[in-house]
Amino acid sequence: MTTRTADELRNKTQMYYEDVSEGQMLPTYVLGPMTPTHVFRWSAAIENWHRIHYDQDFAIYHEGLPNILVNGSWKQSIMPGYLKDLCLPDGWMWKVSFQHRAMIVPGDTLTCWAKVTSKYVKEGMGFIELETGMKTQDDIETCPGTGTIVLPLKGGRAIPYPFVPPKS
Amino acid sequence: MTTTATKLTPEVKAVIGATSEFTEAGWGVVNKESLRRFTQAIMDPDPRYWDADFAKTTRYGEVIAPHLAGSGGGRAAWQDVDPVSLTFRENPVADGLREAPGRRRGGLPSIPTDLVRVLNAGNEIEMYKHPVIGDRLYSQSKYASIIERVGRDGAHMLIITTETYHWNQRGELCYINRGSSFQR
Repeated sequence: MTTRTADELRNKTQMYYEDVSEGQMLPTYVLGPMTPTHVFRWSAAIENWHRIHYDQDFAIYHEGLPNILVNGSWKQSIMPGYLKDLCLPDGWMWKVSFQHRAMIVPGDTLTCWAKVTSKYVKEGMGFIELETGMKTQDDIETCPGTGTIVLPLKGGRAIPYPFVPPKS
Repeated sequence: MTTTATKLTPEVKAVIGATSEFTEAGWGVVNKESLRRFTQAIMDPDPRYWDADFAKTTRYGEVIAPHLAGSGGGRAAWQDVDPVSLTFRENPVADGLREAPGRRRGGLPSIPTDLVRVLNAGNEIEMYKHPVIGDRLYSQSKYASIIERVGRDGAHMLIITTETYHWNQRGELCYINRGSSFQR
C-alpha cells in the first residue's frame, strides 16, 4: 500500500480475523519524501511553536540537531491512522504504543509497517497483536512499537462502537 | 555541560502523581475547519472525516475526527497580550515551546528542574470513541511517573510520563494517552 486515496478508503473491503495469521506482514503505508512544508503545516495545525520544527538555524546552531525535526506529535497521529486504515470499515484500532527512537528530517521517506505477533478471540471479537514501526528509506527504525487491532470474525458479531473492551 | 548531580530531586519527586483539574482540551469545540487542517497535515484523505453523505452510510453515521484531533496541540487561550510576542520579548532565544504564556499544558504544575531541552520520547494510546463536529472535549492529566536516566555522555535527564484521559461533553471516554518526554 502506498499513500492511500479517499476512494480507496471509501471502498476498502474488510479484513477479517480469519484473513491474518501469526508472522504475517500487513500492507505497508508510504509517506514522503517529507519536506519542511509538511513539518510546518503540522506545527501550524496544532499550534506547536517549538522552533526545532521550523527554524533551521535554531535547530542546528542552538539545539545541535541535524536539521529541523518532524514532530513526534505528528508520528503520534500517523501510526493510529495507519492501523485505523487496516481495520476499515468495521474493525477497531484499539491500542498503539511506540517510542520515538530516531530523528526524522526533511528528505526522509517513511514506511509504516505492521507484523502479526499473535491473534486470539474474546467475546466474539478477533484481537490481533502487532509489532509496528516506521522506517526511513535507509531502513532506520524511527518508531518501534506495538499495537492491538480488533477485527470482526466472518459471520460473527459486529465490533461495538464506541469500543467496549473485553472484560478480561 | 554534564553533571553528576541527580536531577530526580525531592522537589521533582514531589510532583509525581500530581493531577490537573478537569479542563477543556485543545480546540474546545471540534469544528470543520480545524478538522480539515488537522487531517490534511496527517495526509489522511479518509472521507469519514469530511464527506457527510458518505459518513452517514458508515458505522459512525456522521463525520468523525481522528481521536487526537481536537484535544491535541497547544492552542493558546484568548488573552490581552499576543503570547508569541510576549515570549520573545522576555527571552529572545526562547525555544517557543515551554515559555509561551497562555499555552494550555493540561493544567499540570511545571517540573522544578533546570533541565531545559524537551524531546518527545513516545506514547501509549488507547482509543474508544471518535470526537465529532460540535463536540466539546475535556481532559484530565496526571504525572504518572518521572524517572532519571544518564546518557552516554554522563548527562542526567528526566523521563516524564503524563497520563491524560480525554472525554466528550457527554462524559464518553474518547481516548487515553500516556505520553513520555525527555527533559535534558
